[in-house]
Formats: sequence, structure tokens, C-alpha cells
Amino acid sequence: MKVALKIWRFDPALGEKALRDYEVDAPEEATLLDVLDIVKDRVDGSLAYRKSCRMMICGSCGMRMDGGAVLACKTRMYEIAEAGHVPVISAMGNLPVIKDLVVDLAPFWEKMRAIQPYLRPGYADPGDTEHVITPAEMDVVHKEALCINCGCCTSECNSLEADPEFLGPAALAKGMRFVGDPRDGHTVERLESYSQEHGIWDCTRCYFCQQRCPKGVDPRDAIAKLGAEAMKHGIDRDMGAKHAKWFVTSAKTTGWLRETELVPKTQGIARSIKEIPFAMQLLKKGKVPPPVPPHVAKDVDQARALYDLVKQQGRDGAAGIVQGERALERIEFVEEQERRKK
Amino acid sequence: MNRVAYYKGCLASLSAKELDISTKALAPKLGLDLVELESVTCCGAGDIHEAEPDYYLHLNARILAFAEATGAETLMTICNVCTLNLRQANWQLRNDDALRARINTNLEAVGVPPYGGKVEVKHLLWLIAEGEGFELLKGVAHKGLKGLKIAPFYGCQILRPSKLLGFEDPDRPSSLERIIEACGGVPIDYPAKIKCCGFPIIQAREEVALAELIQPIEQAMEAGADAMVTPCPLCHLSLDAWQSKLEKATGRTLGMPILHLSQLIGVAAGFSDSELQFKRHVVPVTAVTEKLEV
Amino acid sequence: MLVVGGGCAGMRAAIEASDLGADVAIVSKIHPVRSHSGAAEGGINAALGNSAEDNPEMHAFDTVKGSDYLGDQDAIEVFTAEAPGDIYQLEHWGCFFTRNEEGKLAQRPFGAAGSPRTIFAADITGHVLIQVLYEQVMKRDIPVYDEFFAWRLVEEDGSCVGVVCWDLVHGGLKLLSGKSVVLATGGAGRLFRATTNAYACTGDGMAMALRAGLPLKDMEFMQFHPTTLYPSGILLTEGCRGEGAYLINSENDRFMAKYAPNAMELASRDVVSRSEQTEIDEGRGVNGSIYLDMRHLGAEKILTRLPGSRELAMTYAGTDPIYDPVLVRPGAHYHMGGVETDNVGATELDGLYAAGEVACVSVHGANRLGGNSLMETITFGRRAGRTAAEQALAKGPGVTAPRSALDDAERDLKTVLDRVEGERPWKIRDELGASMLENFGVFRREEQMTAQIGIIDGLRERYEHVVVEDKGDVFNSDLTQALELGYLLDLAGVMMKAGVARKESRGAHARPHDYPQRDDENFLKHSITYLREGDTELSWKDVRMTRWQPEERKY
Repeated sequence: MKVALKIWRFDPALGEKALRDYEVDAPEEATLLDVLDIVKDRVDGSLAYRKSCRMMICGSCGMRMDGGAVLACKTRMYEIAEAGHVPVISAMGNLPVIKDLVVDLAPFWEKMRAIQPYLRPGYADPGDTEHVITPAEMDVVHKEALCINCGCCTSECNSLEADPEFLGPAALAKGMRFVGDPRDGHTVERLESYSQEHGIWDCTRCYFCQQRCPKGVDPRDAIAKLGAEAMKHGIDRDMGAKHAKWFVTSAKTTGWLRETELVPKTQGIARSIKEIPFAMQLLKKGKVPPPVPPHVAKDVDQARALYDLVKQQGRDGAAGIVQGERALERIEFVEEQERRKK
Repeated sequence: MNRVAYYKGCLASLSAKELDISTKALAPKLGLDLVELESVTCCGAGDIHEAEPDYYLHLNARILAFAEATGAETLMTICNVCTLNLRQANWQLRNDDALRARINTNLEAVGVPPYGGKVEVKHLLWLIAEGEGFELLKGVAHKGLKGLKIAPFYGCQILRPSKLLGFEDPDRPSSLERIIEACGGVPIDYPAKIKCCGFPIIQAREEVALAELIQPIEQAMEAGADAMVTPCPLCHLSLDAWQSKLEKATGRTLGMPILHLSQLIGVAAGFSDSELQFKRHVVPVTAVTEKLEV
Repeated sequence: MLVVGGGCAGMRAAIEASDLGADVAIVSKIHPVRSHSGAAEGGINAALGNSAEDNPEMHAFDTVKGSDYLGDQDAIEVFTAEAPGDIYQLEHWGCFFTRNEEGKLAQRPFGAAGSPRTIFAADITGHVLIQVLYEQVMKRDIPVYDEFFAWRLVEEDGSCVGVVCWDLVHGGLKLLSGKSVVLATGGAGRLFRATTNAYACTGDGMAMALRAGLPLKDMEFMQFHPTTLYPSGILLTEGCRGEGAYLINSENDRFMAKYAPNAMELASRDVVSRSEQTEIDEGRGVNGSIYLDMRHLGAEKILTRLPGSRELAMTYAGTDPIYDPVLVRPGAHYHMGGVETDNVGATELDGLYAAGEVACVSVHGANRLGGNSLMETITFGRRAGRTAAEQALAKGPGVTAPRSALDDAERDLKTVLDRVEGERPWKIRDELGASMLENFGVFRREEQMTAQIGIIDGLRERYEHVVVEDKGDVFNSDLTQALELGYLLDLAGVMMKAGVARKESRGAHARPHDYPQRDDENFLKHSITYLREGDTELSWKDVRMTRWQPEERKY
């Protein structure tokens, strides 16, 4: 089949970017990586990109197709070529470009190292045999263990774009991999560290990382698990944590969110006082509902009672998110089953 | 008439009351018979999902259970965040029998009917972007937007993660554009229309959030938009109420009117001021309304 | 001390050396986590006895028999004895393994294993090993010369003192010095058009050692893995068969009943590949492949134990194994041969060591058992790392490799880079891959092998005139890919000579048409090949036996 591409070239010697057109013949089962190989072999040997395994496990070939990061070896070209679409291929975002589609991953690895990406054992010494860990315990971090360090999540992270010092989805997911591992003995220390500025509470919840991850790591969920674990351990001084706590308090007292009190509860009195001019603006438009009388939902006592039951049953922290994850993982399979039934 | 359970969420109840008012005015014209759910709570947003995940499941299961109890097949939402939260909870409950059993036991213990998994959660946007809803929409928008240039802002949680939402292509959505066109407006395209408004961290990390928020507004302005429309009241709050902070932070004058989806259609349908409630917006919408008077 | 290659063996060696106090650096042409060890799927073998009665002697016997009695038994005994300790070490470092109901390490059945001893992590075992090893590398702050392409070993006064590398990111040749150099560069599956191997698997270390005058051992033994996807060659783990999958021909028969009635699909890999090839050659294949059928395992098992394999089948073969059987065929997978080493990783050259797939100890003899390769990388990576570190530390002052080595290399490279007209490497590469598969695949014949020697000579001629289009410094993978092709051509030459010379069928070297039997009297020996003045010099070395005498090998 004929495959046409546009590739953003970057020549480091001249410091110039240029969008170039390519069209080659490729087999029907060709992936984007296969097409790049054909371009490099037969059209322009200077095209630079990384590759190795071609089976979505090494993580070398992360790049952007039409502005969104993908693994080139995972992206089949047949449907794209059939539809006559000409994709624009460029280097991943949020990282410096070395040449063409090759980015400098040093900032990525720096963030990874910052979270202490290795087991820090506790006092339990299993001696000359293995730690005993149930499958359910190991399950807590099975998604985080899938990460192949490809950088696709990092490429699209909206928080990272706005704050380059943000630890980022990959590093935080790796952090969760250890926080959730029963063999690690430094959970509290890790959670304290990840709860600092540029950590967990920087995440803007755009879900781009979750959407783009080619391995199903679900970094946003990993960050949520970290938040859950942090709060379970009482590490909740960050404004982000306070913000979250107020939602819980609202739900079990009035049902509906107690919006006006959200500001001082999150930011503290001092900062809230500084916000008064801004708040006045909103107040004039009726956007600051009076905290009294409270806007109480019907039958809110049920919500309160549910909270007590939940606390009794103790599925706290990350475990609360992990439950039902297999159900979420199965979505495509179940849909396929339905499709086949028809 | 399509009878749907209606969950308006926290913002539409209070600070974004204009959204609830305009939705209720619009619904019957779009063939939607809204059965408002009252014995509900906040869906928890990303916050309860993170702080008390098991409680998040229970709260949403309760909303779904009461929706199911109305006999309606669809639970209609008008907020991106509520949509993702309810759909995620729905997915987990429907496909994990043990989980559903445990939660139903708890629901019943506090007087809530058990949830049988029969409700489908859909945002208003999805109900009117195609099919019968779209046909009715075309009829309703008779006054039209008179070629007004509208920049659609999707936000995050109506598109991603697409395997939970899945209504349209998360990278190249088009539902809002179709609606804008059906209302006689001209949709404006710009890259940041699917990026984050920053609302979840606008209090805890204001600088970061504003660095995100400036992008859609700036790009929409540069593309010549007269106004922006969004299906999410949280995005609306960022885009509208925080615009003054953006102006302060960037030193630029913005003044971009932000419309809720129901208001956009309402304008095209010739709604009155009391039905649109533009006076509740921080950034004046007069530029838009004036253009349409001609 | 330098470790060239950053996969499981290389990283394990570096960690050991670092723990012994050596100043060690890893040199790798790709970032360590990109190494092909990470693509291993099914598992790693050790006689833990968590699943059933097991012990290192049983593991050793299975390995000896699996090697078709060509494995050196003293090495094998050391290997199986130390393996359990190495596994526990990995687990203590936090390696993510699948657990059994009691919370201990789960062990699954694998090819030719008398007891289920393959420890695993779903079907991404290689991945979790790479992750835990790189974590330990980061923990120790071991420096990594990432994207440094090793091109030549440097020798001075009878010792290896360093390696000349091309700096891929910045360009230019760099000279790295070390009192010890450990080769851990993996195999050369890219010799064959149908291979499970990554693009990076081009036998760099084997070729560098060969060019430096070192002997390679058992080069004719290339394992063809029975279940590689059609047409890509991508690996579907033996673990699928370990969980119960069937192999079916076009007549819907579980044909392994004819060839290995006891072990069936879990016979040794060479046996299974030969069985498949026979079925295909006799017309009972589909598209030159046969089917791997997992439908009867059920969705639950596939989604929990084999999710990676399912995704690979769906992405690269368009088949969902829950509903449909998958087309698979034998593909070049693992090189049993390599740089000759002793049981502690030392080569003939002082200061040079080797471990992992690049080495031939020999643990695997004529055929490797599934799960033994990953274990070898760890156990022998550790041993070689230790030997190299101890000997480096004992050597006193540091060494600086001679500048002349760099100058010579620069001169030679200039010849290649300056060329403006010539053939693009891809044609030679494709012809090499196709002809090697045709003439040196699962079944081998005298005429084909001899013809292949001529073909390779012709390709080497053409290689003298290849042109590198990219003349730039930054990220010149056009250059490194051309250099890799050179490695492959050198290795192909010695492999063919050894293949012709071994006039028997043993393990992965199957000659059913001219020498169908195993000939212990004449060939219970390792082939030793040197490259001397452009020609292969071949000799033989006895197999080291301790406990087991060769027997008929049936499954």
C-alpha cells in the first residue's frame, strides 16, 4: 500500500525545524515504525529515531502522531493509509529535541531518580527465601509494574507543560509501585516526599497520560492511589489534600458541596483574606452561595450512614481504588464479546 | 418524550445555577422529560475518588440506584466530571459482581434501593449531538446564531479516558462543532480545545492552573472567536470566573464570553433573559447578545 | 571496569562489581531498559520446589538432556545450584513476580522440565527483571555510557584494556579504558529474516571478540523458537503452552502426539520446532505456519496469565486468542553459541570476560531450555561481574588504553563515512536474512550450507562498498546500522563453517537428510572457531561431563 507521511525534521547543526513530505510503498501489515524504516533505508538515511524491539516492550519508539504520543511500533498504518490520511509525525512533547524524532530523556530519568525508584526494604527479613505476599497484595501495583519508560505520558502531561518541575506521571506511577509494595519499608517517607510541591497535588487530572499510555499503566489512577495512601497516613497538609478532604466532609454532612467554605478550608484563612477582592467579584454575580443556611440534599442522613459503613469495612487508601480495576481493564474484552454475539 | 433521570451536580445547584435553569428550559424542547434526582449527593469529583475511594463508589452507586428506581434507562448529566465519575462507578459495579453485592448490601442497610446495573449515564451533549436529539435541536434553534464565531472547549473528562467515555474520538471530537453549526454559528478550531482548563488545581496550584487556562482563551481569541462554549460547569467557572485573575497574571485584556452548552442552544432558540441568566456570568456576555440583536 | 551491554547479564555484572567496590561503568548502544532481555516473556528457572518436588540435580539433568548432551556438566551443576539463591536475591530487591495461593513465588511448567520450576511475572518476566536490575543500578549510581556504540576491543600487552565506541548522541569515536571488560551484548537473531529478536540484536560482542582473535564456541547452534507470530516473527511465549495451549496443523490435529507423545507441546524447543517444520514441509501448514490454540484455556486464564501474549496476537496478527487460534512458525530466537568462557566468565584474553547470550560456557549445549537463558544472565552475570571486579581490583593502578587504538579506528571509520557512492546496507541485510533462513534454518543440508558460504562471501564483497548517507555527528544511526551489518556478516561466516563441519544432528543443528542421527563417538564436542586472516579456523573441544552419560533423547 502507499503510505504518505509528514515528518517534522530538526537539524541540530543548523538549529532548524522543517516539515517534510514522504511517500513510500509498504506492506499492509506495516506499522509506523516499519514505514519510518523504509523511509530511512530508501529515501533519507539521515532520518533519526529510536527503535529496538518492535513489539511494544522496550519503550524506544515513542513519538507524536498528529500531536499525540504513540509507540511507533504499535501503530498500524493500514487504516490510516486506506482513509487517505497523511499523519504528521513529530518528536514527543515536554522534552528537548536532539534530532528529528529523538528527544533527550535526561529530564525524564532525573524525575525518576528523584522518587527513589528502588525497593527500600523494611525490617522484616525473609532470610534465604522469598517474602510471602498474597496475589491480592501484589495486585495493588500490577499496573504500575507494566511501565516501559517510553515517555508517552510525559509527552502529553498538561501539568508538566505548565510546570516543568512537576514530577510527572511516569515518576509518580513508579512511586506508587513502591508505596503499594508490601516489601517496601519507607511508605510514609515516600508519601511525604511525593506530597511536596511539584508532586501528587500538581496533577491537573487531564487524563492525557492515561489516554496515551500504550501499556495500560493508568498513571492518573496511580497518582490517585498515592493521594489516597497519603491521606490514609494523615499526610494531608497540602492544599490539594485539604481541598479533597472538604469534599468528603461536604458529602457526609450536607450531601452537596459546601462551595463557599471550600476556599478557606483549602487555602487557610490568611490566603482567603487575600482572595476577598476576587471573591467580591464573584459574589456580585451570585457565584458565592451563602454558607448559611447550608444547601442540604434530601435524605442526606443516608450519605452519613454510608460513610460510617465504609469506614467500618476499611477498604482504605489505594485498596479502595484497586477494587474493581479488573472490571475496568476488561472493557474492551467485554465489548468485543458483545460485538461477537450480534 | 424521552424520560431521563436528571442529576444536576453541585455547581449547577449553586454557583452555576444558570446552567440548571437553562437546561430545564431547554429540555422539553429537545424531547427530554427530566426526572430530577433529589436524594443524591455530590458525585465526589476527582477529590473523593482520591481521598475516600470506597466512599466515592458508594455515593455514585446511590445516585445510580435512585436513577434506576425512577424507571428511566438513562441518567443525564450536565457536567464532565459527574459524567466520568458516574460512568466509571457504573462500569465497576456492572462488571464486578462481588463489588456490586457488597455495595448493594451497604446501600440497602441505609435505606437505598440496590443497584441492578441497568442505567446508562449520558451527558446532555451526547443526547443532542446525533440521532433524534439532533433533529429536534435543529428545529429548536430557529432564531439561530447568525454566523457568530464560537470556539468549543471540550475540557478533559468528557473525552478521556475514552474507554470509559467513548462517545467520540478523544483526539478529534466534533459533537460541539456539529451543534454550533446546527445553531447557525461558525465553529472555531484551535489546538487547546481538548486540553485542561486547570480547574482541579486552581486553588492548590494557581500559577500552574493559570498557565493551562490561558491557552484555550488565547488561542480562541487569536482565531477570532466571539465566544466560547463548554459542556462542563467547572471549566465554565475557570474560563469565566477566573478570567480576571488571568488578566492580572498575564497583563492582557481578555473579555471572552463563556457560554454553557444549554445557553448556547437557548440563545439560538430565542430564550428570554430569565431562562438564560447571563447576568450571573462574571465576564459580560453582552458582546454576544448585542451582535444578535441586529 | 567496563561492562559492555546493559541487559540482564550486563546490569547484574555491574551491580556485583559495584557491590565489591569496583569503579564500574555500563556501556550500551541503547539505554539499558531498552535491552532485549526485557522482551523475554515466559519465565526464569530455578529449583525452588514451590510448585512440586524439585531440586538442583533434577534441574541439572533436564538441562543436560535438553542440551542434547553437549552442555558442559560442571557449568550446569554450578548453574542449577546457585540459581535459587539468585532468584531470592532478585525477590529481595523487589522484583515483581506472580505469586501462588500461599504467597510464595509461583512456578509454571515449561518445555522439557521434569518439574514446574519456571518463576514468572504474568508473561512479562523479562520486563520485570530489567526493571528491578535498572532500579538497583540507579540505587548505586552506577554510571551508564548510554547510546555509546561499542566497535572495537582494545588490547595491550596481552590484556584487554578498553573499548573504542561511537558516541551516538554527540558523534565521534571515544576511547573508554578499563582493567576489566565484560561483554554482555546478547545474541544475533537479526542474522535471520524470521526472528524474535530486536533490531539491536546484531551480535556486536561476539563479532568484536572474534575480530580481536578470540574463539567462539558452538556457533552453529541457533535456537528456533516454535511459536513466533506470522509474519512479524514476534515472540509468543512458551508460557502459552505452559498454561495448556495446543499446537494444531491444518487438519486440526495435535500433531505433537506423533513426535513427543509424553511431553506433547512442552517437549524441548528444538523438538517442537522440528515437528512444526515437518508438518509445514509436508503440506499440513497454513501460510508456512501452524496454529497455536488457546481457546480452551478460557478468557479468565488468558486475561490473567497471558495478557501480553493476547495483546501481541491482536496487534501484530490481528487475532484474539480467546476466540481464534493464532498462526505461528519457528523463528530464530536464541544463540546457544558465543564467546568461549570458563565457569566464572573469563575468556582466553586476560581482562576480557563475557556473560549471558553473548557467552558460551556452555550451559545450554546444543539446545536451550525455556527459562534457562534469563537464569543464566543473572547467575553468570553475577559470576562474571565478580571475577572481572576482583581481577580488576587486584591489578593495582588504573589503565589508560593506548591512543593508537583510537587513531586506527578513526582512520578505518573515515573510509566508511567518506564514501559517497555505493550500495545502501538494507539490501545486503535483507539478502543475508533471507538466505540464512533458507539455507540455515530449522533443517540443514550440506548443499545449502555450502551454497550459503558462497552467498555470504558475495555479500561481504558488496559490504566493502556500502554507503552511509548520513554524514552528520548527531544521532547517526545510519552509521551504526551499517557497522552492525558488518558484525552479522563476520558471524555468519563462522557459523556456516561450523555448521558444515558438524556432520550429525544434535539439538538445534538438524540435518535429517544427510546426517539424521546424533554421533556421540565423533561429535560429542564443541566446535571452536577463530577468524584468522579473513578465514575461519575450526577445531573441536571435548564436552566436560561429570555425572551424566549421553542417552537417547526422547520426550
